[in-house]
Amino acid sequence: MTTLLVLLLLAIGVYLLAVLENWIANGRFQLTAPAYSAIALLGRESVIPRKPDLLFFEVGPVLLLIAALLAAAVIPLSPDLIIADLATGALFLNAALAYILVALIMAGWGPNGAYAMIGGWRFLGQLVAYAMLIVMPITAVAMRAESLVTTDIVFSQAGLWNIVYQPLGFALFFIAAMGLAFLPPFDLPTAKGELAGGVEAEYSGVRLAIFRLGRMVLIITLAGATATFYLGGWQGPLLPDWIWSAIKIMLVTAAMLMVGKYVPRIRETHLLAWCWKFGIPLALLNIFIVGILIVVIP
Amino acid sequence: MITGQAIFIGFFGMAAVWFGIVVFRTFSMVRSAIALLFSQTALGAMFLTMQAEFLGVLQIMMMATEMSIMAIFMVMFMMDPGGMGKMDMTHQKRLSLIAGFVAFVGAVAVAVFIDWGPVTETIADTAQQTEALGLELLGRSMLIFETAGVTILTAMIAATAVAIKPVPIKIKTKDEK
Repeated sequence: MTTLLVLLLLAIGVYLLAVLENWIANGRFQLTAPAYSAIALLGRESVIPRKPDLLFFEVGPVLLLIAALLAAAVIPLSPDLIIADLATGALFLNAALAYILVALIMAGWGPNGAYAMIGGWRFLGQLVAYAMLIVMPITAVAMRAESLVTTDIVFSQAGLWNIVYQPLGFALFFIAAMGLAFLPPFDLPTAKGELAGGVEAEYSGVRLAIFRLGRMVLIITLAGATATFYLGGWQGPLLPDWIWSAIKIMLVTAAMLMVGKYVPRIRETHLLAWCWKFGIPLALLNIFIVGILIVVIP
Repeated sequence: MITGQAIFIGFFGMAAVWFGIVVFRTFSMVRSAIALLFSQTALGAMFLTMQAEFLGVLQIMMMATEMSIMAIFMVMFMMDPGGMGKMDMTHQKRLSLIAGFVAFVGAVAVAVFIDWGPVTETIADTAQQTEALGLELLGRSMLIFETAGVTILTAMIAATAVAIKPVPIKIKTKDEK
């Protein structure tokens, strides 16, 4: 029952994200537009390119969706509204997100197209670097909560949210989450205009619909992770728990989309150089600072 | 007695072996790498079935990135990464067969003949397991893991240093302008 409820809320969240994306990108608020585009995609022919690695081509989008859903399973919307309250929740989130990389490599390699392949391998470089900026800030969050359980992490922020307690970790996690969800300005694997859609380029019809759905679930999941780890999860006055979670998740999503609207796409080399030279040392510094803070102000 | 747990362990074990076989049955280097990944993921699932949650999740997480990196190295260095030319990448078949068979017999012999001691009846809950693992890693086994970590880091730095092509430093004099 809880699982169905969470999945329903996730579906609503994904729909709202699609509306929001359209609103921010085109300036038009159309509540029905995503439904029409979905019907259009499902009605269209799903072309299979010549000489594909058919197994990878078919599995790629599905694996993207499954990985994003598995990651969503450990995000709590309220103390009880969580699919799996695992004892290793924060680590499990990373494990599930690692398969986003595998899905994109498969989707990039499968169609036997140059643009798609470049997109897939680009994402490898991007994720190997930015996965560190996901894991290390989570380490600092888990240090404060003294637990890997996601609900415990939310409870640990009762007095002070982590965005205030460890702002550096929040900034790094937010950037890395955008990189992981390949949102603009980090949309290098899809890169419209430069790679003509990259990983998405050879997909059409129902397969493209699954790919896009998976990516939107991924964005909502990462926004949920940001809310859980840094914005006090479901905590807030007056309103019910799950509404606070929903508000925070949609606000984080909107913030991510707004950044993409105003910042131009970053070059791959610059993106990687920034992460290895500054991002990772800063993440280590964050762990160090939080370690001292825990001793001084528990 | 065959329990549900035993059935799942058997299933994931067979999946791990099957994906291991696929590694050598495909011509595509990327397929090979991904098959090895799923073989390792199945091992992680075995850990999960045996209620070693932390180890299982860790195994599943680490392998995704590691095998993907291996895939790109295979694409960079192999002559026929897509396997479209059906190029045979194996060699020294007889030696490999014998070595593989000996290793297999050895592993089975170890599994069967070693004294594993008494089997634990109760399993500590996951949070305790994680804590125990942390104490082990930062206590008794610290030296071993730190040594291994530093060795790998040294190897990575050395490999990068060897791979970089030295750029000759040229100082411009006034005349060269």
